[in-house]
Amino acid sequence: MIRRRMLAAVGLAMATLLPLTACGAGEDEAEGGPVELTVAVWSLASTPEFQTLFDAFHKANPDITIKPVDILAADYPTKVTTMLAGGDTTDVITMKTLADYVRFAGRGQLADVTDLATKPESAKLAGLDQYKQDGDKYYALPYRQDHWVLYYNKKMFDTAKLPYPENLTWDQYVEAAKKLTSGTGDKKVYGAYQHVWRSVVQAISAAQTGGDQLAGDYKFFAEQYRTALALQEAGATLDYGTAVTQKTGYASMFESQKTAMLPMGTWFIAKLLSEKKKGTTDVDWGIAPMPQRTGASGVTTFGAPTAFAVNKKAKHAAAAKKFVEFAASVEGAKAIAGIGVVPALKTDEVLQQYFALQGMPTDELSKKAFTPDKINPEMPVSDKTAKVDTILNEEHQLIMSKQKSIDDAIKEMESRVKSEVG
Amino acid sequence: MADLLTAPPATASAPPPPPRARGARRARTTLIGWSFILPNFLGFALLTLVPVLGALALSFMEWDSYNPPEWVGLDNFERFLNDESTLIALRNTAYYALGHVPLTMLAALGLALLLNRRLRGVGFFRAAAFFPYVTSMVAVAIVWNMLFDPEFGPVNQFLQFIGVDSPPGWTTSVDWAMPAVILTSVWRDMGYYMVLFLAGLQAIPTEYYEAAKVDGATAWQRFRAVTLPGLRPVTFLVLILLTVQSFKIFDLIVVMTDGGPGRATLVLSQQIYRKGIWEGEFGYASAISVVLFLIVLVFTLIQFWFNNRRERS
Repeated sequence: MIRRRMLAAVGLAMATLLPLTACGAGEDEAEGGPVELTVAVWSLASTPEFQTLFDAFHKANPDITIKPVDILAADYPTKVTTMLAGGDTTDVITMKTLADYVRFAGRGQLADVTDLATKPESAKLAGLDQYKQDGDKYYALPYRQDHWVLYYNKKMFDTAKLPYPENLTWDQYVEAAKKLTSGTGDKKVYGAYQHVWRSVVQAISAAQTGGDQLAGDYKFFAEQYRTALALQEAGATLDYGTAVTQKTGYASMFESQKTAMLPMGTWFIAKLLSEKKKGTTDVDWGIAPMPQRTGASGVTTFGAPTAFAVNKKAKHAAAAKKFVEFAASVEGAKAIAGIGVVPALKTDEVLQQYFALQGMPTDELSKKAFTPDKINPEMPVSDKTAKVDTILNEEHQLIMSKQKSIDDAIKEMESRVKSEVG
Repeated sequence: MADLLTAPPATASAPPPPPRARGARRARTTLIGWSFILPNFLGFALLTLVPVLGALALSFMEWDSYNPPEWVGLDNFERFLNDESTLIALRNTAYYALGHVPLTMLAALGLALLLNRRLRGVGFFRAAAFFPYVTSMVAVAIVWNMLFDPEFGPVNQFLQFIGVDSPPGWTTSVDWAMPAVILTSVWRDMGYYMVLFLAGLQAIPTEYYEAAKVDGATAWQRFRAVTLPGLRPVTFLVLILLTVQSFKIFDLIVVMTDGGPGRATLVLSQQIYRKGIWEGEFGYASAISVVLFLIVLVFTLIQFWFNNRRERS
């Protein structure tokens, strides 16, 4: 009986898979018939950018309908890995992280889209470089890219009679944070909130000094750590230990106006817009470029792109490529910018539309923050990334909770990366 | 089992059925017997036995879950002995167990003795003591984290109130993170083991106490000569359960400290998770889990051996 039930379950699973694999088998887009394109995405209901893109694409290509393959966000990498390993024929695969991309591309599971990536209009795509593989090949095209900016509370700056944080150096950032801090106990507001992630200190110093987080030499972290600890020492930011033990959310810190400045990724914009629309916050906010090193020219920050790739075993390779190209095009960028998501393509036209969104700050400073001169990757991708990440994170905790001096922790990072990662 | 089911009762007076029919019936009952065991056994085999054997095999291989596994012999175990992080995790696990097991036993026994009386509202107090155990581990971890907050937490505010100048940073301090985790887990677990001790206490015949009283034994003497020996089977059970549970600690630590600060509360089960799921080294992770299994096994065997020897003497 059990065996029969298992047979039935397997049969049911096959039956649900069959339409996916059987549809359009042998069809060719060149014939011009209607095509059903399958696209692997995560948490469709809570990630509105996907449906927005699908609708826009279908409008531009009425003969192609899109059937999303919805996967729980947390399971996405594992699920897609298994799917691809099993020879699944889903046409388009979303590259959630660069690490996933490098793995899939390295194992030959993605189709070559170099021709799309080398088109002149693709040159404007932020983050495109990070998809370069084997020297000059591309297997995915980014459609969104988040980078880090400095969020600030306009009202708090006005009250303190301080100019908005334009072209700050890190020292000026600390000074401003001290001036913006006021009150005690429950009423205390902080000049800045530095979230507990190691990226807040480590990724930004790597991006702005050109340091390599995988190389095993970490002296370039030191200055940024001094800045972070100085803020903490002055009481101008929430103490790291408190932030960790209370699991403080950066969103609530900023939205409830407990902090005047917040370095964070551009993904926070869409959330701010929707929270404000809902009326859960009335913070009057703007974005500014990330503070820079003294003497630095231009604005350098870090970020992470998201991309679409064509499955090498795609049923509808041509239509899939069409979709990948569309998502990275002006139309695609406009579609997602329309809901507050940051597109990889940041042309004037797209930006104009983005800043025309209801609730979006329209000042020049915010626009400037949106187009930094250089966006470096948050963390280089290789087979060492996960291990190095663990080590850097552990030592980061020790520095921030003042269990170890900056120099000792950096020495420890170097020796551990050498001995544990090699 | 099948024999038990088919064996005719001793008092059965009905003539035995013809041999062929009996064979058929026996086959049928065997089948019925199997059908009762099968769902459970299948679940056990698929979800426990196969993965356990798989992990044992994997511990001798290198496997990243993409490429075919590669036989590496004892390399993974050798690596265990030279991997600083894993050795720290081993030490931390031992630290946790050494704190958690005796403290929980003491607290549970104390509570049980306290609540094993005819008091007004004793049911309420028993329920209150048991309550932490039915609470979600994640909720417990988050709430205790707040209590342990170095600046705003009530624990430190109380310590400052009674005159401690610089109270510990608890979960943000390398030295105090593990004691904080142990305290939290003792608080959570003591109610459950209290119930076991209560059951044990109530199984001790009251005549022993009365006889001891008549002989003029003090409360402490009664406790040592009557209560403790009477509780021995329960104590043994609690000891084994607690030891196994301690070595497997994972959820509380992941939510409370995530192994931090640094590696101060990194434990073996978390290291297994990190190496396997996070870093994709399933062979090495399996080797660590095999070692963890052997440690638990050895401890359990030692405890059984001690118990047997004491019972014999």
